[in-house]
Amino acid sequence: MIAYKFLRSDGSSVFSSFAWPLPADGPGAWVEAPVDPCRSGIHACRVGDLPYWAGRVLYEVELDGEIVAQTDKLTAARGRLVRRIRAWDEQRDAYTRMCADRAHELIAAAPPEFAHWDTVVEPSIPEGPALLGFVAARIAEEIEGTPAAYRAERERQTKWLAERLGLLS
Amino acid sequence: MAEHITCQEVVELVTDYLERELAPEEASLFEQHLNFCDGCIVYVEQIRATAATVGRVREEDVPPETRDKLMTAFREWKRS
Repeated sequence: MIAYKFLRSDGSSVFSSFAWPLPADGPGAWVEAPVDPCRSGIHACRVGDLPYWAGRVLYEVELDGEIVAQTDKLTAARGRLVRRIRAWDEQRDAYTRMCADRAHELIAAAPPEFAHWDTVVEPSIPEGPALLGFVAARIAEEIEGTPAAYRAERERQTKWLAERLGLLS
Repeated sequence: MAEHITCQEVVELVTDYLERELAPEEASLFEQHLNFCDGCIVYVEQIRATAATVGRVREEDVPPETRDKLMTAFREWKRS
């Protein structure tokens, strides 16, 4: 199946530092590991998982063999990078800005006791898309007083990413 | 199931995370947090480095004077 994977700029994994074989003329080499979610295996995102793991560079990854689905990611026995999603390079800052603007919008429409949240938005922008996505979702959750608002905001972010990056959800 | 964890919870869970004792869903929330929180990344790396360093020290490597100071500090901390 096709999924997505964020890596560091040098092509290494964010948590394991594994240096992935990168696609060149074709897909990169297959990588195999026993499936044990969060400990071992090829970890990847469905489209709906992307906001939770936003990172520096994004690849399309082909998964094979045993695949375990969690609420926020997939873990597979085999995987290979198929292509870099260049649209993310172009849209990363726009996504960060969209999340910041959304956070401001939520605060502006909320009762005055939430106004102090506005001060965290702009200073968070240099930290990048993962933090701004979280900030917008947290503000929605805080204003609505329910985790459903957090999830709804994440779904909104997913929709934006799917449209801008041309991904099938 | 929580949607996210806080920096305080990262501090509470860090040992279990490094020892791979967290349940997968908890470990996922922990790593989601690390994905956006530079302060917690630094903290986790400090704990990882400390555990790796201290884990190499044998009891007989610690001078008696240092051992007594550490034990006193530990007892004071437990009382506080």
